[in-house]
Amino acid sequence: MMTISSRQYAQSLFEVIGDKSKPELEKLVHNLGLILVRQHDLGQAVEIIKDFQEIWDREHGELTVELLSARQLESTGKELIVSYLQKRTGMTKINLREKIQKNLQGGFILRYQSRIVDGSLRSNLEKLKNRITN
Amino acid sequence: MSSTKDFIIEQLKKEISGFQVKIEEQSVGRVLKIFDGIALVSGLSEAMMSEILTFKTSRGEVSGVALNLEENQVGAIIFGDYTAIKEGDEVLATKRILEVPVGEALIGRVVDPLGEPLDGQGKITASKFYPIEKIAPGVITRDPVKEPVQTGIKAIDAMIPIGRGQRELIIGDRQLGKTALAIDTIINQKGQNMKCIYVAIGQKESKVSNIVSKLKEAGALKYTTVVLAGAASSASLLYISPYSGCAMAEYFLDKGEDVLIIYDDLSKHAVSYREISLLLRRPPGREAYPGDVFYLHSRLLERSCKLNKEYGGGSITALPIIETQAGDLSAYIPTNVISITDGQIFLEPDLFYKGNRPAVNAGLSVSRVGSSAQIKAMKKVAGRMRLEAAQYRELAAFAQFGSDLDIETKNKLNRGQRLYEIFKQDQYQPLAVAKQVLIYYALTNGFLDDVPVKRVREFEANLYQYADLHDEVLKLINTRKALDEEIEKLIKTLLADYKLTLDYLLK
Repeated sequence: MMTISSRQYAQSLFEVIGDKSKPELEKLVHNLGLILVRQHDLGQAVEIIKDFQEIWDREHGELTVELLSARQLESTGKELIVSYLQKRTGMTKINLREKIQKNLQGGFILRYQSRIVDGSLRSNLEKLKNRITN
Repeated sequence: MSSTKDFIIEQLKKEISGFQVKIEEQSVGRVLKIFDGIALVSGLSEAMMSEILTFKTSRGEVSGVALNLEENQVGAIIFGDYTAIKEGDEVLATKRILEVPVGEALIGRVVDPLGEPLDGQGKITASKFYPIEKIAPGVITRDPVKEPVQTGIKAIDAMIPIGRGQRELIIGDRQLGKTALAIDTIINQKGQNMKCIYVAIGQKESKVSNIVSKLKEAGALKYTTVVLAGAASSASLLYISPYSGCAMAEYFLDKGEDVLIIYDDLSKHAVSYREISLLLRRPPGREAYPGDVFYLHSRLLERSCKLNKEYGGGSITALPIIETQAGDLSAYIPTNVISITDGQIFLEPDLFYKGNRPAVNAGLSVSRVGSSAQIKAMKKVAGRMRLEAAQYRELAAFAQFGSDLDIETKNKLNRGQRLYEIFKQDQYQPLAVAKQVLIYYALTNGFLDDVPVKRVREFEANLYQYADLHDEVLKLINTRKALDEEIEKLIKTLLADYKLTLDYLLK
């Protein structure tokens, strides 16, 4: 019995989609559900949905990132972040999911894929403190 | 007073203004599972093998090392308080491969495998950091082993001599004096231009505490570092401890110095590696050890070497210790390490309980470097001792019959008995090489044949005292390191004069 990962399910679903019409897509997803039941992998459904979203976005050059900041960022700042991400990841469409987190004190934290860019005032103060006390 | 205050404020302002805000991208992951000192982390797609990872927990930062790089997750071992880590905690990759502080600051200190001090004598400011894993020097950079390591233990220096750059295994059952051999060797390195590192892997902390106080008493801490991963340490610390010790030794090797490193013991090291591997779900092999347990020790011991002049001319001599169960030399780990090292010193329980301590079995013990690691004087006198010891062992069985033996056999038996008496030695009493040459000369040239066997040790002890009083002979042996006619004549005179002072000689 081979173990199939959620990523593999999501990838195979993505590959069979092609240009199918809505009713055909419904049937595909229904078949996937049957396979999951047969393989006793229905519990992976949530992961599969998440992985499918990621694969879809990636294949369409789209990337969703999390942007935490102490205050609402201005559009110039956001544009800089978007162009930085476009250069780094090669994705054309960048979706910024913004959240305000006051305890950052200033600056921002950017999370995307398995990366973090920590430009918060809080962590820079921490680094300064370590520099002075060591 | 205010000028000091102003000065401090100026310094602080300088520090703050000189601080450069650097925003860097870091690889990040999340803890999926945490158990038994192992963490499985998702993300971290660019983690390197043996990269240091920082776990951000509610109780501060905990570090770990990535050991399993899988498709969707990274398996890491944790150094420190793994109970502080929770599922979902953030993990950062530091882009640094596991390294330890090295340098002169470590001499005389007791540290843990990560270089943190354990002796309560203050912080260690290291000059450099060396990676704990390193590829061993290649063939071209090495030189043959020629200089001796004087262990001060008669049985070893005479019959199983060790050279600088050699790996000599000390192997035997529990409580036979393996650690004692190692410690006596360290004590005897005083004035020998040698740095020592004692790596205690899984030892009782009380035992190591005794060892440290003995070393301090003997003045050995002036050139020794103790790396301690005690019995209560996590398997991760036990696993890296010998490699840390070796990295610290390599600092001195790179400076062209000689280092002696003792791994006490590698059996416990293999067990800790087995524990980590099984927890990381690596497939178990023979005796449940992972498939690469040979590589575990071979890559460690290959880093002990003698480098040629072009590369500094330094050396690392390794004395790994292995504990066998019921004398079984053919078990998995002992056979592995025997095939890696350049010889072994085999300790036997029978000899130990008969009173021959150190309980070295000269027949099964081997030094593949042999007499090229002896000074000429020693080679001349000790060369025949191994043979005589072997001949005695063969004939000793006949002595039990008490039957009539010919003169030659009787002589061999007498000589052999005295030889084995000479090899008995008290703990913490390493013997300088000049005195060893003296006593072996006396033995092999028949000066002991008329001393009753029971009084041989007394004869020996008093001979050394006598030689210290009339020390031209010892001084000459030390400077010339060879036995020429002049020295031999002086030795003969010394021995004759000494024997005149005795009243218990036979016949």
